[in-house]
Amino acid sequence: MMKRFVVVAVALAGTASVMAVLVSGQDIVPAPKPKPKPAAVAPAVPLAPASGQAYFDDAGFHRIAESEQLSAEERAGREIWYKATAGNDRFHTYVFQQRVGVLVDWFRVLRSDQREGRFKTWGIMNDPDCCTPGAPNCPARSLEETYGLDYCAGDDELLKYVGRSGYRDPACDFKDAPVAANDPHGPKDQRQSACDLKFGTSTGALGFRKFPNPRFDPERWKALNGGKLGTWEGYNRKLSEDKARSDRDLSHLMDGSVEPPFLIGTTCGSCHIAFDPLNPPKDPTHPKWENLKGAIGNQYLRISQLLVSGMPVNSLEWQVFTHARPGTSDTSAIPTDQVDNPGSMNAIINTHQRPTFADEEILKWRKTNACAKDASPDKCWCEPGREGKCWAKSLAKERVHHILKGGEDSIGALEAIQRVYFNIGSCSEQCWLNHLTDLRQVDPAMRNFGQTPFDIGQCRRDCSNFRAIEDRLPEILAFLSSGETNATDLHVARAAERKAKSASAKYEYDDLVADLDREFGKGAVAQGRKVFAENCARCHSSLPESEAGPFASRDFRAIDAKTGLRADWMGNDASTPVSEVGTFRCRALHSNHMAGHIWQEYGSETLRARKPDPNVKESADGGRGYYRNISLLSVWAHAPFMHNNAMGPEICGGTGPGVTDFYRPSYVDASGNLLPAAQQPACWPYDPSVEGRFKLYKESMRQLLNPDKRIPKITKLDEDIILPVGPRLWDGKEEKELFGFTLVVPKGATAGTLGNLQHKQFVNDLILAKLHPDQLEKKRGKAQADEMKQVLAEILAEPSKIVETVGKRKELLAAYSSCTAVVENDGHTFGESLSEADKNALIAFLATL
Amino acid sequence: MTTNRLFRIAAVPMVALVLGACDRAPSVPFAPYGEGYAARPDFAKVEHDFPLTPADLEKITPKNIAKLTQEEVDQIYARLPAGPIPDGAFDGTLFFPKGVSGDRRLAEIVGGLGGLVVNLKGFKLELIGKTLWKGKVFYRDERVLRNRIEDLSILKPIIDDPDSLEKIVVDGRDAWLLFPAKLYCGQSLLDSRRESIIIDYAFTDEIEGYKERPDFLAGRRGLRVRDEIRMVRPGFYLGRAYADRAFLLNFTLYNAAIAERDGPAFLKTGQAPEDCWSSTSRVLTAAK
Repeated sequence: MMKRFVVVAVALAGTASVMAVLVSGQDIVPAPKPKPKPAAVAPAVPLAPASGQAYFDDAGFHRIAESEQLSAEERAGREIWYKATAGNDRFHTYVFQQRVGVLVDWFRVLRSDQREGRFKTWGIMNDPDCCTPGAPNCPARSLEETYGLDYCAGDDELLKYVGRSGYRDPACDFKDAPVAANDPHGPKDQRQSACDLKFGTSTGALGFRKFPNPRFDPERWKALNGGKLGTWEGYNRKLSEDKARSDRDLSHLMDGSVEPPFLIGTTCGSCHIAFDPLNPPKDPTHPKWENLKGAIGNQYLRISQLLVSGMPVNSLEWQVFTHARPGTSDTSAIPTDQVDNPGSMNAIINTHQRPTFADEEILKWRKTNACAKDASPDKCWCEPGREGKCWAKSLAKERVHHILKGGEDSIGALEAIQRVYFNIGSCSEQCWLNHLTDLRQVDPAMRNFGQTPFDIGQCRRDCSNFRAIEDRLPEILAFLSSGETNATDLHVARAAERKAKSASAKYEYDDLVADLDREFGKGAVAQGRKVFAENCARCHSSLPESEAGPFASRDFRAIDAKTGLRADWMGNDASTPVSEVGTFRCRALHSNHMAGHIWQEYGSETLRARKPDPNVKESADGGRGYYRNISLLSVWAHAPFMHNNAMGPEICGGTGPGVTDFYRPSYVDASGNLLPAAQQPACWPYDPSVEGRFKLYKESMRQLLNPDKRIPKITKLDEDIILPVGPRLWDGKEEKELFGFTLVVPKGATAGTLGNLQHKQFVNDLILAKLHPDQLEKKRGKAQADEMKQVLAEILAEPSKIVETVGKRKELLAAYSSCTAVVENDGHTFGESLSEADKNALIAFLATL
Repeated sequence: MTTNRLFRIAAVPMVALVLGACDRAPSVPFAPYGEGYAARPDFAKVEHDFPLTPADLEKITPKNIAKLTQEEVDQIYARLPAGPIPDGAFDGTLFFPKGVSGDRRLAEIVGGLGGLVVNLKGFKLELIGKTLWKGKVFYRDERVLRNRIEDLSILKPIIDDPDSLEKIVVDGRDAWLLFPAKLYCGQSLLDSRRESIIIDYAFTDEIEGYKERPDFLAGRRGLRVRDEIRMVRPGFYLGRAYADRAFLLNFTLYNAAIAERDGPAFLKTGQAPEDCWSSTSRVLTAAK
């Protein structure tokens, strides 16, 4: 009977919870609405406050919009992008911790006394308008006043409401652009109250916002934190150093009865705001507003580590999800499709020039003014209390963009932006948590065994934050099409750099070409253009030869007279079967947009009709199995490459006082074993300077073009994962397992293999092997059914050896894996046969784009 | 330790869980549903299309709710508000999930394996739970709860000093107060759309009166029990018990005095005090 219990123990508890990371990882493109744009230039006028002066009034933020000459619509969208959480503060404070089971240690991430190490540890951008209490010119004098976080613009008001209700969100004062003349819901302004955008104030980290917690109890907080208000150290401290205790690595972060002083929300900017390649900060810890761009993509951000920052390092969550490289995020981790697939937060560039695709079958809600009296609210719905503010759901052919790594967001640019807000936690309680998978639910008859589709109509009806964003999507789109997202040319960056040293210095495009020719060989740029035209342009040009003439004579830098932007987006955005690209395929297999899955309503019928890649051995139906190629605009500034940032040198973690180094070596030998430390190629330190980016670009390109010289990368567990299965009993001296066992997944195992294991199917097949072997044989074939019977027998005999029992059966493991690929810097071998000179020429040419 | 003794102790956790939790089934509306998870209707749609009126809620009793399938119990739970954090002693009843066949769901899955946890070699955990666990006592102002246990015989092997345990008399019967838990408003593990009242044993050891043996059993180093409840009507709550975040059983809590005192007004208005976050979506228990 004990053995039988093991099956249930495994079924009910054996695989622990998972989780992980939200946030974008996508670029977003607008419907084409061309208009002249200012060319990308570095700001000519210093925007920073005078030395020693500090802004605490948001003036610096708004001054940038002025300098960029943004329209009212673009400014409004920019402010939403930077500040709007759309109510996800509850997600990041309660839902993720309690419902999903993943602990975020916000104090560890945001504590003001470690502001100097924040970028180095987490890669997050310090807000220029915030300060550490007690610092010169900081309005707050002690951490006690700010509960341990930075003092930021608006905190004079916000701090009054910690532990009290009645806070008026600054979003209530948000200034919308006028309603567009062609808006079917206009001309009257019927947008949802801007208060529901929920800005709060900055935490000191750009894109991370705080809100006063009316449930906060100062006396209880002090009791937990050594009598202080200004620290959270009693909240996040490990419970014990005693190794005999099973709870030694836990903390009060898992105590849901504790209410912290702030709720923490995130904005789109949390992943997308980063240093401007044209004007990088002298000190990454202290950027000024003019050093930052909103949609450049934060390639330094360790969002995976951040979102599991409260979990023990030997937990499943930490080990499986903190291997994502800086600047990448597993956006399907919270929906838990069990496909381990971090993807980069890539730059959003020149969106007016981005390709669109005509005649795609799109089922979605569209604005209208009325619904038929007998219309089902599932098909047509009018918002109560408004005049003719209605939405009708219909199937129609449209021209749309393809967004996300495989083009999965495919019903329109506005809806792609809309979905990002769910990805960052908005409306989670009202609309989408109930549709997610619960990794502990192994009963296929029960809710949350698998995903079910999110219902846009229901969310519109039930979540005011949804409506606040939806009514302003055109503003956000305008911002993402604005001058702040223009391409960033290397020659412009170098010119700005030189001008900072000498006002009379000049550096033009021709100077760049001359420099590149000097470095890569005479005529390298011209030769590189030729190589590109012959070998790369068929994918990496948005203007096919049938429309824009032969690549051979093409000026790839030609300007579009209508938009002022470069005409070629330098990527055709078309879907390519993953086996053709050959890069790490797990991302292409992510399943969230399939029919019946969480983001079904954000995928087009055309997308789901794509044929499976015949060369992929895992399940790849429902439109999966493709990658878009990327734009090569400003590629000099965005290495390392590929969707997972794995092509190029590995980026180091931070070092210094109060800094945590999250770097995890991943170079392996031919057998897939981690190379010894002495043989691991050195990681590269962060260097956002112009030449730092260029150096990283060159080395990443060399690795890209020389597949035979790449050292493979496979991320391994760097600690044993300890999973107690079953309860324990206290005999007065020590904890004893009442029944069950302690599962240990050993250090050195491949992290992705664990993340991709379809444990529910495995457990259900184990039960079938015992109870209905005939059914299993029919389902999986005789060989696998026999193997499963043997596995079950071995598990029952030695339950604690389950990892070894399953792990030694590679083929069986593969049968229950959503993705069996392990080498993360594989593929994209195009160009490997070029001569060394041509490879150099190509590197030189691409640096000019 | 003998196997038999081990099983006896194994039963204790189940009690601790309710510590964590017949008539005909109540005639209230449910949304149609199928067998697999994908055929279960979204709770938002269930609530929108099949709202429960106070009159519907009046039909539900601690006894008849146990006649429903788990899906039906879930659909009721999802249409309930959290209600006020209770105060005082409540009588408790527990019941295990039933599948669509009317059998216990676990038995449906693993029937051939002998019912496993629910029926370990004749060890009738449901019966034991019902025998031992009599309900909960809420201390609203302190945001603390304790469980009422009327028979200590099974627990005795893991109690150091039975005479030191706190006692209470409810309806003239003695009960020991064990397994303290913290009370707060928090996330439901079933329905995210509004908060539930959470009964959390994770930090049971921080509560005054904690006795390591046996209270340890429900805490973070034991079964990691977490219960959640929502109000059916005043004085009557429906609960769900979890161990290490895995759902195990349902339970009800009933206080006749509160039900009699506040029930008539609720039947008329559908209104009751609310301590927890009730979301920006509608709560549809208002009178029609």
